[in-house]
Parts: sequence; structure tokens; C-alpha cells
Amino acid sequence: MTALRISLAATVLLAIGLASTWLVVERPKGSVPPPSKLVIAAALDEAVVAPLLEAFGRAYPHIQFEYRDRSSLEVDRSVTEGNPPDVVISSAMPWQMAQVNAGLARRLDSEEILNWPEWAKWRDEVFGFTFEPIVMAYHLELSRHVLPPETHADLLELLDSRQNLLRGRVVTYSPFNSGIGYTLFQQDARYSSRFWDLVTSMGRVETEALENTQRMLEGIDSGRYWLGYNLLGSYALVYAQEHPNVIVQIPTDYSLVMMRMVFVHRDAPHPAAATTFVNFLLSEEGQGVLAGQTPMFSIRPGIKGPYTAARLLGQVGDRLYPIPINASLLAFVDPARREAFIEHWRQAFSGDREAVDERHE
Amino acid sequence: MIVVTGSLKRRMAAWLLVTVIGLGALLMIEAWVSSRQAADRAFDAQLEAAALSISEAVQWQDGRPEVVIPVSALQILATSSQERVFYAVLDSQERRLSSNWEVTIPQALRDSVRKAPLETALHTAYGELRVYGREVSAPGWVSQEPVQVWVGHTLGGRQTLALTLFKQAVSRFLAMVLLAGVLMALTIRVALMPLRRLRHQLRLREADDMRPLDAEVPKEMHELVQTLDQLFTRQREGREVLLRFTADASHQLKTPLAGLQTISELALRSSDPGQWRAALEEVHGSAERTSRLAGQLLSLARLRHLDDAPQRQRVELCGLMRDVALEWAGRDEANRHDLGLDTLPTQPLWVEAEAWALRELIGNVIDNALRYTPAGSSITLGLRREENEGCLTIRDDGPGVPEEQLERLCRPFERLGRQGTEGSGLGMAIVDSIARRLGGHLKVANLSPSGLVVELRLRLAEEEAS
Repeated sequence: MTALRISLAATVLLAIGLASTWLVVERPKGSVPPPSKLVIAAALDEAVVAPLLEAFGRAYPHIQFEYRDRSSLEVDRSVTEGNPPDVVISSAMPWQMAQVNAGLARRLDSEEILNWPEWAKWRDEVFGFTFEPIVMAYHLELSRHVLPPETHADLLELLDSRQNLLRGRVVTYSPFNSGIGYTLFQQDARYSSRFWDLVTSMGRVETEALENTQRMLEGIDSGRYWLGYNLLGSYALVYAQEHPNVIVQIPTDYSLVMMRMVFVHRDAPHPAAATTFVNFLLSEEGQGVLAGQTPMFSIRPGIKGPYTAARLLGQVGDRLYPIPINASLLAFVDPARREAFIEHWRQAFSGDREAVDERHE
Repeated sequence: MIVVTGSLKRRMAAWLLVTVIGLGALLMIEAWVSSRQAADRAFDAQLEAAALSISEAVQWQDGRPEVVIPVSALQILATSSQERVFYAVLDSQERRLSSNWEVTIPQALRDSVRKAPLETALHTAYGELRVYGREVSAPGWVSQEPVQVWVGHTLGGRQTLALTLFKQAVSRFLAMVLLAGVLMALTIRVALMPLRRLRHQLRLREADDMRPLDAEVPKEMHELVQTLDQLFTRQREGREVLLRFTADASHQLKTPLAGLQTISELALRSSDPGQWRAALEEVHGSAERTSRLAGQLLSLARLRHLDDAPQRQRVELCGLMRDVALEWAGRDEANRHDLGLDTLPTQPLWVEAEAWALRELIGNVIDNALRYTPAGSSITLGLRREENEGCLTIRDDGPGVPEEQLERLCRPFERLGRQGTEGSGLGMAIVDSIARRLGGHLKVANLSPSGLVVELRLRLAEEEAS
């Protein structure tokens, strides 16, 4: 009897402890949702993403959304300006990360989010929802003159050995005005110090720096360029299917992978609709549309379609190096580091070898 | 009457509960504080590592410090809990060489970091942060100026870790409490076992079994068992006294009755009316004595067993003594003795007592003195005041009592070898009982050269007496 009474008292204590610590709040489900608006600010071509938006419109007819297709810089600015959008999508990973680090993202906690792969999310606030390999592309004509490059080392050797052939015929992303280009080169520089030799070589052949993949692909197709470096694979692979002049090469030493990142703005005017949209993006349905009807590879495991991360990994294997979604991205937007990198790039590109070496530690 | 005041087990359980709650509250506070400290230590180490890593990256370029934030530093800073991170590198003019947030470090902190690195909480527009600052004096080729490196991150990971540690501590404590409770219950059972055995033994005991207890008990119960034994001993003695009294009383009654029988038988055998008359007179006398004996026995029994509080009233001793002396002086029995009264105090002496009992007491002593002293002896009643006591004395100049028998004088049926004389041997026993009843002190002593004095001291009533 006494033992019972004591254990009862202990149980009460325990129960109080449990109740105060693990208080679970259930939210009621069901009921017809009221009409809502939704503003999506995205650095992602509306034409490319159209099937996804249509699928969302069908699944949630009560949400009237407005899709604002802007450049990544404009999208980034809209985050901090007045009248913030509900959902922010951008491929400029470091800038997205910096906004989230500053606390401008809303933490989400749906089942989709809990099950989302750890390597493609940060703090449950920002999520990578596409998987886009970075590739090289060349014009068919190139292969008639030289053996096309398969690795970064091949590319460097080719640029050095066939300067006259390639002069003015090489194209790459601009590190100055494009967030994606800058990020890719930053990541490249982390992997190998020979990267700067590559920049020097590219400078020597008067490489052109453009701000989007589409224009690079068109240039290659037209024969204006013979060789392109660091193109978005998602666009390039689809483009190459319709343009036989363009051949896409996924580098066989390593291939970076970029993810488009999405978050719900902290001050979103329509947080419920915004959360619904992000959940849809990460859901089986949303990822299925990505994998089947857009050139962007889906991330979610278990999705069937021509463009899935799993399929790409199966083909290319462990050569894929996704740009990690973590605090390391924040270093890329550090003004001092960015300034130093751009300066380094300029000097290397213009062939100022001494300046390059001096900076090279 | 036995009043049950709570259960021993319940009381112990309550004490345990109170202890657990009191001790528990303290332990919980301690656990929470130390959990917080442990979590802080773990995470502060990360802050320090990140700051060191950034310090390493400070370089001198064209006479001013520059820093390229290392990627790894930010990953260390974010920790595995994915904290939001803050960093700032300030030069000696407090310009930002590099920083991700517009956070102003208070002047006091900047000053204090000049002396030694420090960790502190900082409230910013970006939320509560834990920041760590250190000053680096990186040697440059042209000039030298100190650079302050500040790093910080949010508190989510610390709180989660502290909560985890705290929950573990609480679980351990609760498990301990449960275990202690069970052990306590078992201990109580074991500890109360001797008590249960004793109870069993007492229950099985025969009603008139007054032997000492035969039990193995722990030290704590020894006193209880001893007290019980003493109670048994007293009961046994009381019973023996009662049995002896009854036996003695029967014996005392039997002797005169046997005498009566003999006399009446002798008278019946004779046909002489003269003898009949003589026998009848003898029967009469004997019956009177027996009746008196029975009366005394009754009175003794009554005195001894009267439980209810005596009905006391205020009695004036001087008057009482005078009355008693006069009454006895007029009696036939006192003819052959010189019964006298000493000079009484001039002030009246009041006591709280029962007048009849006092009279009985004095009468018994006088009666004894008349019986056991030779004719012609003088018996003197006296009264004096000693402080707040009234002291009654009855003196005689008879043979006294042998010293060794003085103490037995007040037991029933003691006639101290003077069986020949008339008397039951109950007189002094009655005197003693009355003295106890009145709350007085009785003293019997021999006088020199001869004689006996019986002295009764009674407490005088409150000041009204004067």
C-alpha cells in the first residue's frame, strides 16, 4: 500500500514533468480553406516552371497566385524591401542563405519538410528543391578538330594547347553580374588551386562571360562559340535534345550540382498559402512534375521520371558534388571575400601573373 | 483510552514525499543550471574555434589588415545544430573589415576584449545571440594594429542540448525516487516486524500470565518491552498483596467465629442458665469485636479502592483536635489512660480535607495507643504549625516499637507479635491509607527513653487561613 502510494506520487511528479515539457498541440485538420492570395518571387523562368505552376493551380484552386519572374538580384532585393513576397525562390544560393541566416525565413514543420533529405535543407527554413548538374557544352565542330574535354584538366590543357583555335570561341558564366556564375567559380576555387590557371587560360583565349545559360547555348548552337564552361545542366540537356549541334558533357572528374532554394518569407502576408506552396514543391506530386515535365531534376527520393537526382546519380555516380546548403555559403556573400575573389579573378583573367601569385599565398 | 493518531507508514511516506519534493526542487535547479553550463561550454568551444579560424585569416595588405572569411569558420560557427551565425572583424578604428550583420558591439565589450577574450550574451535585432570576441595583433610588414574578431550564433542548439541533459537528469532522479520509495516500503515492513511479533506474543498471552516477556527486540524497542515488564511486575505484586490481604482477612474473621462456635457448643451442652448467660455475654463481646473487625476491613477496602476525588472541605485543625480529645476522653476505653491535649496554637489552622477521615485517622491512632500501651500510660495530642504545614502529633509513653519493625507497622494485620492483645492489626493500615488519601505525610517514630509518636503533616490551605 505504501509502495503504491509512493509510486503514485512519483508518477504524478513524472506526469507533471512530462506534461510541461512535451506539450503537444494538435491542429485541427480538414474544413474547406478560404480563398487566398499568394505572391511568389522567383529567379526561375516562368516558361520552364509553367507545368509546376499549373499543377499547383489545379491542386489548390482556392489559391490565386502571382508569379514574379525576376533576376536573382531583384529577387534578393525584394526580400528586404517593403511588401515582401510570400515565397522566395532563387538559384543564387549564397544570397538565399544570407537572408535565411538573417532570420527572414519562416520555420516550417509539415511532414514533407521533416522527411526532406538533410543535405537539401537548412534549419527547416530553406529547402533545395531542384538538382541541377553543372556541365560543359561544345559545338559539334569542336570534335572535328580536337578531342573534346571530359575533365577540368582536359579543358585546361585544351585551352593552353589550342589557343589560336579557341580564341574568342569559349564562353562561360560571368562571375560579376550573375549570382550563379559567381557561386560556381567560388566552389570551383575551393576544390582545386589549378582553377586559377584555368581562369588565366580562359582569359588568354579571350573567353566571353555571359549571364545566363540560355544565351550560352544559343551561341554554341549558332557556332558563335565552340566551347562553354559551367552551364546549367538542366537547360543544356534539354536544349541538346533539340539541337544536335550542341553536345553536353558532364565533367567526369567532378561536376558541381546547384540547387534552387525556396523559403517562406518571415513577414509573408499569406503564410498559410505560402506554406501550402512549399509543401507542394516538396511533395511527391510537385517533385513528380519537376522530374517529368521540367528539365530540373527532382530531389525527393522515389520519384519516377526522366529528370530525377537518383537517376542522374545512377548515370554519373559519385562525381556529382552538390554545393552544400550550409553556413559555408555565407562566406561567398561576404563583401570582403567577394571583392577579393573578383579582384583575383580579374587579375588572373587579364594575365597579371605576378599579382595572381602574390595573392596566391 | 487509545487514540489512533495516523499511521506510521503513512507518516514515513509523507516524510519521504516531503524530502523528495524539497530535495527534488533543489536538485532540479542544480540540474538545470549545470545542464545549461555544460551546453554553454560545448558551444562556446565552437565559438572559440571559429574565432581562431577567422583570426588566422587576417592578413596585411598595403598597410592595412584584410580578411577573407574562411568557409570552414562559418561551418564551425553554425555547429551541427544549424545556428544562425554572426561575425564581424573590426580594425582599431572600429571599422568593419568584414561582417555579415549590422550589429554594433557595445563599447564596454570592445574595451574588455582588449584585455582578454570573452563570451557573453548579446541582444541584437537578429535575436538573442551568444557572442565571443578576441583581439588579434597580427604582425604586418608596414604597421601593426590590433584587430578584433567577433563571432556569435543563436541559442537553439544550446537550449536543445541543455533540455536533453536536463531531461536525462530528471529521469535519473525520478528513477531514484521510485527505487527509494520501494526500498522504503520494504524497509518499513522489515523494521516493523519485531513490533508485529511482540503484538502477536501479547495477544496469545493468558489473561493471568504475569511472567516477564520473552522476546527478541531491537534496541529502540527495548525500553517499551522493559516498561511492559515493569507493568506486569506491578500487577503481579498487586495481585499478591490482594491475595494476602484476602487470606489474612479470612483468617482474622475465622478466629473469632471459631471462638463463637466453641462457646456456643459448650453452652449448649450445659443446662445451667447461668452458664448460658455467661456464654451469651461472651458471644456478645466476641460478635462486637468481629463486627468491628469487619467494619475496619470494609473501611480499609473502601479507602484503598475509592477512586473518586475526595469531597474536601475546609477544616479547622485546632477545633477538630479539641473535639476529638474531648470525645475520646469521655469514652470507657480511655478510663485507664491519661489522655491529654497539648497547648494548641492561638491562630486557627485551616486545611483542605475530609473531616470524617481526619477524625478516623486520629481515632485509630488513639485506639491503637490505648490498646498497645499499659494502663496508666499517658497519651498526648499535639498540634503545631511548621511553615505552611500543620503538624498533628499523637504521643504515648508506652514501650514503643522495635526499630526494625517500624516500617512494617502500617501493613494490614501486623500486630508485631502482640497477638494476645485485642485488636485486628488493621488500625495503622487504615491510618496510612487515610494519610495517603489526604495527601499528607505520615511519620512513625520511637521516643526516648520510651514511647511512640505518630506525626501527620498536612499542607495548610491558602492564605485565607490567617
